[in-house]
Amino acid sequence: MGRLLDVRDLFAGYGPIDVLRGISIHLDAGENIGLFGPNGHGKTTLLQTISGLVRPTSGTITFNGADITTAQPPKIVEAGLVQSPQGNTMFGEMRVQETLELAAFSRRARGKRNDNLRRVFGLFPRLQERGNQRSKTLSGGERQMLSIGAALMCEPGLLMMDEPTLGLSPRLKEELSEAIGKIASDGVPLIVVEQDIEFLLRAADRLYLIEHGEAVQEIDRANAPDHAEIMELYFGKAGA
Amino acid sequence: MTETLLATLVSGVVLGSLYALMASGLSVVWTTLGVFNFAHGALMMFGAYIAWTVSEAAGLGLPAGILAGTAGAAFAGVVIERLLVRPFYGNRNMLLVTVMTTLAAMIILEKGAQIIWGARLKQLPRLIDGEVSLLGVAISAHEAILLVLAPAVLIAIWRFTVLTNTGRSLRAVGQNQDSAALIGINVPVAFALAFGLSAALAGLTGALLGSIRFITPSMGAEPLVKAMIVVIFGGLGSLGATAGAAYIIGIIEALLILWLGLYWTPFVLFLLMIVVLVFRPNGIFGGRE
Repeated sequence: MGRLLDVRDLFAGYGPIDVLRGISIHLDAGENIGLFGPNGHGKTTLLQTISGLVRPTSGTITFNGADITTAQPPKIVEAGLVQSPQGNTMFGEMRVQETLELAAFSRRARGKRNDNLRRVFGLFPRLQERGNQRSKTLSGGERQMLSIGAALMCEPGLLMMDEPTLGLSPRLKEELSEAIGKIASDGVPLIVVEQDIEFLLRAADRLYLIEHGEAVQEIDRANAPDHAEIMELYFGKAGA
Repeated sequence: MTETLLATLVSGVVLGSLYALMASGLSVVWTTLGVFNFAHGALMMFGAYIAWTVSEAAGLGLPAGILAGTAGAAFAGVVIERLLVRPFYGNRNMLLVTVMTTLAAMIILEKGAQIIWGARLKQLPRLIDGEVSLLGVAISAHEAILLVLAPAVLIAIWRFTVLTNTGRSLRAVGQNQDSAALIGINVPVAFALAFGLSAALAGLTGALLGSIRFITPSMGAEPLVKAMIVVIFGGLGSLGATAGAAYIIGIIEALLILWLGLYWTPFVLFLLMIVVLVFRPNGIFGGRE
């Protein structure tokens, strides 16, 4: 099995400040990985840099054997590396179905537009019901579904999801978690960013703890930490 | 009395058609890039001169001239975007910087036209000679074509932005550049396309106007100002709002000329614009924020 994504010693940020400070992560074919850690330590910046929206100052990103470190976002999508960003309203004035159809914009996805649309509607029946509504009228959960649905319309060879359940009710969270499980079992490799480690451990084979712009710890599902250890990872030892 | 009023209304609708073509071009660039293109009037003038060169100087006929004027202006628009707008994407002061660079483009085009084509007035022939009677009012057949062509072009552009992938991508880029990039849309290409489409509309307007008014290097200034009044009046949100506002402004202008005369009309139009800006800053069709 080859290495699907390889991020090595990546530095990137906004202006003179580096948010990523030499981060290295990888994903092998056949596995899903999760990223967790405190807010503001570079998880979103990492996904934005992989997607080409933020320019790295040094380091390399390789996808499917091709160097995409300095590639533009459309090229990266064309290669099959797709992101569903966080808390995204996408195009507020556009209708839901229109947005999904447009998301099959790349050449790789164009021919599979109708198949993928059926697949997205099967996964999120609510999007079909809301098909004629403008995106800005959607609820938080429906927006999240639209964001993931649009990413699926891109025919991803690797899908990165940035906090897909952020701010959702437990019931909605369960619904999305189920959908994400289905996407994974359909054979789409996933990188999921989440605060909720229990959720991540169900979806991913391997987790990285991201702190201060680096991957400071790698956790295997096989030797997953218990709740107390997770709390320790987040907050440090009690009384220390 | 009713005859004068009818004649005024008809000439207002003719004016409105021209303003609708001009203003919708401004609106396409504004909604996609967030840039106000001050060279829009100069692009209209450029289209008129190209149309004249192909139609009269080269003798290829007016239809070829109109096509060439539209295409020539579109090309100039893409060049302006590439050289004078694109370098400033992501700049914090982009709106202000591009006010200056598009003003520069306007001056370059106007002075360039003066050097290339000289100061002598030029005019295009009409598409069709003769007159047509509309509501009992006689208008030239050329103006009648304008009346039909303007809404047809606007409807075609509206369908383009709603139904085609490329048209939808322009709307998407205008609403959220990052999201557009993440579904594989090439944002710089969309920007160039929006500028080209907008300039094509300006060029078409110029080529059609060149049969009604004289072609001069500064002929674009007044239509640009009117298009500005239209987009402020209607709001920059949608093509429909812009087109509706264009016809309303055209009719108001024609009525003002009838009642107040040419001298006071611009004054009242600007007053109207200020009133709209104070009470409905998003335009009469725009929502309140």
